[in-house]
Amino acid sequence: MRTLFILLGKELRSFFFSPVAYVVLALFMVISGFSFSQAITLMGEKPTETSIVQWTFYPRWFFFYFFFLFPLITMRLFAEEQKTGTLESLLTAPVRAVHVLLAKFFSAFIFYVILWIPNLVYLGILHWVSDGRVLIPLGSLGGAFLIILLIGLFHIAVGCLASALTRNQIVAAIICFTLILLHFLLGMFLLLMAKDVPVEYMGIVNYFATTQHISYFTIGLIDSRAIVYYVSFTVLLLTITHQVLEYRRWKA
Amino acid sequence: MIETKHLSKQFVGRMAVDDVSFSLKRGEIVGFLGPNGAGKTTTMRMITGYLPASQGSVQVAGYDIFKDSLKARREIGYMPESVPLYEDMRVKEYLTFRAKLKGLRGSGVSENVNRVIELCTLGEVRGKLIGVLSKGFRQRVGLADALVHKPALLILDEPTNGLDPNQTRQVRGIIGSLGSEHTILLSTHLLSEVEMMCSRVIIIDRGKVKADNTPENLIQEFRASGALRLEIKADAEKAQKQIAAVPGVRRVMREELPDGWSLFQLKLDPGADVREPLAALVAKNQWPMRELSLRGVTLEEVFVELTQRQG
Repeated sequence: MRTLFILLGKELRSFFFSPVAYVVLALFMVISGFSFSQAITLMGEKPTETSIVQWTFYPRWFFFYFFFLFPLITMRLFAEEQKTGTLESLLTAPVRAVHVLLAKFFSAFIFYVILWIPNLVYLGILHWVSDGRVLIPLGSLGGAFLIILLIGLFHIAVGCLASALTRNQIVAAIICFTLILLHFLLGMFLLLMAKDVPVEYMGIVNYFATTQHISYFTIGLIDSRAIVYYVSFTVLLLTITHQVLEYRRWKA
Repeated sequence: MIETKHLSKQFVGRMAVDDVSFSLKRGEIVGFLGPNGAGKTTTMRMITGYLPASQGSVQVAGYDIFKDSLKARREIGYMPESVPLYEDMRVKEYLTFRAKLKGLRGSGVSENVNRVIELCTLGEVRGKLIGVLSKGFRQRVGLADALVHKPALLILDEPTNGLDPNQTRQVRGIIGSLGSEHTILLSTHLLSEVEMMCSRVIIIDRGKVKADNTPENLIQEFRASGALRLEIKADAEKAQKQIAAVPGVRRVMREELPDGWSLFQLKLDPGADVREPLAALVAKNQWPMRELSLRGVTLEEVFVELTQRQG
């Protein structure tokens, strides 16, 4: 356990000492700030069914940055260490490969969570300046944050796997991007097909569609199937990543 | 300290290490020699647990590197060939991180970090980013990392590779000063290094152990099957035939020198001394002679002889 924390500390440190982190943070704040101000403007114009939480956490341009965010966060994790050879000194120290994997995974996850904190600050400020007259539904806020975290777990695990597969960061980013896109399209495709699909198969459709999950959770509808889906896939992906790390040693 | 038994590693289509068995006793400094691609790094990686062996076993300080991996790894200080370091960390910070990772706690961390900083004379760069350090400093940071948890066993993969002569001497000096406390296995292809520092040499070629002995013994063995040098002025071809016919001469190599003299390099059978019959032969034919000498053998020649690729 101690080893895990030592490794986690080191990983977080190298996150915040790399310029990529600040570029991502800055871009993310620009985009989320823009969507927040858009939301305020729209809500000021006419009454709307959509709550401020939905606008903030699930704006229409959500997927434009969604696809790029995770590759940028995760591409470095294993690819860099494999390229510079530091993985060798890391794995010959008395350290379990699982600890290395979890430290990298959680460092990326913590960074991802930090990205979202400004959004909470915006809502807080809105609440404060409007003297509490703007309705911020706490249930949907909790749901929104929960789904954001779950999506983060899943996609960062995808990124870990992509990064473990190669020693080239660009290749890692492309693999991660492709996998996320495929998963997204699978969900979208099934949603679009929904009209032609018999009712009894709709469950499967709902199971895959990230967009569907987000729209449920942001109105406060917390669906345990989605929780199980993301958590179990995260565990599966991390297990595969662990196997990849071990396999590289057996093969090479 | 190390006990390898029938260690083998098979990569796709070739045996990188083929049935290697050797052992190191506590306190020994052993040089691991071999041409590039002989399997040195692969063997070291198997000993440190980075690569699993295809066959055979490795025990480090009594622990099996595969079954008791964490315990065995705690006993090892390993410096990989390319000296991989985190470029974005500062020297002291990196060593502190590694010390903690290797299980040091509390005041032991800073004590040992300061100890290796002093030992490897890293004082002046302790606050610098590793990325900006010169090769010599990086090498010493790698060595300090290997030493920080006072491992019983040090495995150094070409510790002086790519250093200038001064830096090489510094690194050698540090390794030499460690001798009594640690068991050291170091690979190199610099033979002078082995002669200077090691009490034993293991020569490996194409994955197989070719020799395992003290440097002195190896040289002795080869001197027994010695070499002789003869310079005369004569009809070279005829002379070569006659010299080859002398009992005890195994092989004669002829070289025409530009000034008209001929140089003969002779390989002799073990134990044979043919100087007298050879002198008699020269006298009989009345060849003018300007040199007849037994040559001393260096470790380099032993190495070349053992690892020369046929064809």
